[in-house]
Amino acid sequence: MNEKLRCYIDDLFANAPSTVRAVELKEELFQNLTDKYNDLIAEGKSEEAAYNIAIASIGDVDSLISGLSGTKSVETQASKKRSGIFVSIAIALYILSPVPVIWIQNEAGVVLLFLFVAVATALLIYNGVTREKYVKTDDTMVEEFKEWKQNGKQKGKAVNAIVGSFWLIAVCIYFVVSFTTGAWHITWLIFLIAAAVASMIRGLFMLKQ
Amino acid sequence: MSVASELIRGNTETIILAQLMKGDGYGYMVNKAILNLTGGRFELKEATLYTAFRRLEDAGCIVSYWGDETTGARRRYYSITDLGKESYRLRKKEWETAEAVIDKLLAVGEEGVSK
Repeated sequence: MNEKLRCYIDDLFANAPSTVRAVELKEELFQNLTDKYNDLIAEGKSEEAAYNIAIASIGDVDSLISGLSGTKSVETQASKKRSGIFVSIAIALYILSPVPVIWIQNEAGVVLLFLFVAVATALLIYNGVTREKYVKTDDTMVEEFKEWKQNGKQKGKAVNAIVGSFWLIAVCIYFVVSFTTGAWHITWLIFLIAAAVASMIRGLFMLKQ
Repeated sequence: MSVASELIRGNTETIILAQLMKGDGYGYMVNKAILNLTGGRFELKEATLYTAFRRLEDAGCIVSYWGDETTGARRRYYSITDLGKESYRLRKKEWETAEAVIDKLLAVGEEGVSK
């Protein structure tokens, strides 16, 4: 039953901006509703009745959530920093990947090159998939609330899947171009271009929504 | 009988401050105390409660901190500040003034009946 309450509150906050305040409010609301629910059960109410009473006592939460926009985004703190570190390490690995080939000049060097590239690509894909979604913080949010609630989660997954496969394609292009031209010193730029295109894909999806 | 919420709404923040004058508390604790005090006739909606908490916090009347419960989820506690205590006294005085005025204005009707 705790899960049911959690789901309900998740839905309520599906379109809330990802601010520290919103996350804290959600946690606070969930904790208090759980307390209330447990009290009602202790009074002898059925699980169904206790759940309904707890939900009914929430009231109009839309105005509360809309009042949360404008505060500092969670994404700009921990997540952005983490994302920055991942991308920096990945790019450093791409740049350094030809070094073993130049240095060792045999198969071991090539194997090392692939290892570098594999780790860097894995970092980028992981970062792309786990990165927190950008949330619109404009005022029309409340009006779009219900519509969003329906399709928000599915669309988020679709975007992540597209961007994830896009990166795999970018890796393939990188190797094909690099092996055919042999211009390893410059082909890593493909990943910078790919990063830009990936951002554009995300941006286009945001616009569509 | 439940209490007319319009008559209470204007005093939500004062009611919350009054609860916190007794000591720190978290959302459900405050609401439960209000419910018990009124014999089950009045209870704040969660949304109303948190809107009031945020407004009081922004105004510097209360501060919040997360409890360090070892079992279960953490609770957010609220504590009244000196400014909040001052605000409580002021609001209570305002209410008493308004109460006296309204009593007097409404009593006119009773007098009309008795004559």
